[in-house]
Amino acid sequence: MFLLGSINFPPIGELLNWKSILFGGSALALNKIGLITIAAAVVTIVMFGLAGRGAKLVPTGLQNVVEYSVEFVTNLIVLDAMGPEGITWVPWLVGMFFFILFSNLFEVIPFIQMPATARTSVTIPLALISYITFVAVGIKKQGFGKYLKGALIPKGVPLPLLPLLIPLEFLSTFIVRPFALAIRLFGNMLAGHLLLVTFAILSEALFVKSLLLIALPLPFAMLVVVTGYEIFVSALQAFIFTTLTAVYIGEAMAGDH
Amino acid sequence: MHIYIFGANQAFNPILPATGEIIWSVISFVVLLALLVKFAFPPVKKIMTDRTAKIRSDIEAAEMARLEAERVLAEYRSQLEEGRKEANRLVDEARKTAGLVREDLLKRAQEEAADIKRRADESLIIEKERVMSELRSSVGDLAVELASRVISYEIDRVSIDPLVVQFLSEVGATTK
Repeated sequence: MFLLGSINFPPIGELLNWKSILFGGSALALNKIGLITIAAAVVTIVMFGLAGRGAKLVPTGLQNVVEYSVEFVTNLIVLDAMGPEGITWVPWLVGMFFFILFSNLFEVIPFIQMPATARTSVTIPLALISYITFVAVGIKKQGFGKYLKGALIPKGVPLPLLPLLIPLEFLSTFIVRPFALAIRLFGNMLAGHLLLVTFAILSEALFVKSLLLIALPLPFAMLVVVTGYEIFVSALQAFIFTTLTAVYIGEAMAGDH
Repeated sequence: MHIYIFGANQAFNPILPATGEIIWSVISFVVLLALLVKFAFPPVKKIMTDRTAKIRSDIEAAEMARLEAERVLAEYRSQLEEGRKEANRLVDEARKTAGLVREDLLKRAQEEAADIKRRADESLIIEKERVMSELRSSVGDLAVELASRVISYEIDRVSIDPLVVQFLSEVGATTK
């Protein structure tokens, strides 16, 4: 601790508190997080726009990537979680997947190095949108009463257990679900970001301190490894968030499960 | 003044969302979804379904083409077989006809040859007879002339040959 005493670990607040670039002071204050989410949306739209504009029957380059991702979302998320009637949700879920993926990936893009999803400001709205969507789908498809009944009363449960189960089901479906969605993504990305910051600061400090230079390879190697790992986590979290949303919407569509 | 390690700063709570960030992230996500669903996704989906349809129709067309090719092949085979039979039949017929023609020609040639020979024989006989008759007449003439010459010579000789005279007298004596 003595040797490392001069290493200044910034507080988490400082790592996440970005100054506004535009409209400072107003509710519309645009800072780095806002820019990253806009960039994530723009990159996704441009990617699909380019792939769709020069679309050829025999795909090449970007079109291949986009088509593969569409097929990935269709087969591994929509068809698995929702079945064939979920196919209309593919563009919606593809958008969600790429928005989260790119928001995550800015964590490892040099000079940006900040996942927008490490802020609850991004994950809570996303989770709420997912929540509102599946509840709305459930009510629209089955009607309010039937949907609520299907969601709260599990089939084949003896009557005396219902007073216990209904509150639990309510809690799990309507309260924990959106909360878990938001916190899972936020927690994973924030933790990854902090890991990267930690190893980056350690590497930087050791690079400066001559005596400890021999220890530099360790945190630096960790920095490289964790960067690779974070790319994987970015994709995984985007996949999990999208899959869970698909599962919830599919459940609301199908009714009794 | 900043002596805290991670999280000690209460001035900014890292867990609480910030209004501006919420607004911008919601705007970007909603706009993304709207643009994607309305404009950017359909062309990509269209080319994918087009491809699926094209591959399906190509496979079906290939299958149909294969069946058609098989049918045509069978047709050609049977036609070829028929053609071969027909060709064999024609060759047989031609051979037969050629045989007949040859025999006919041969017969006619033989007949003609025989005819020519016969005519030659006939003319030969006629010629021979003509020559014989000519010869005969000229032999007669010659004989007559010779005889007349011999006779005239004999008569001349009578006047000079006593033997003849004697003979003549003897003949005359006996005929008496």
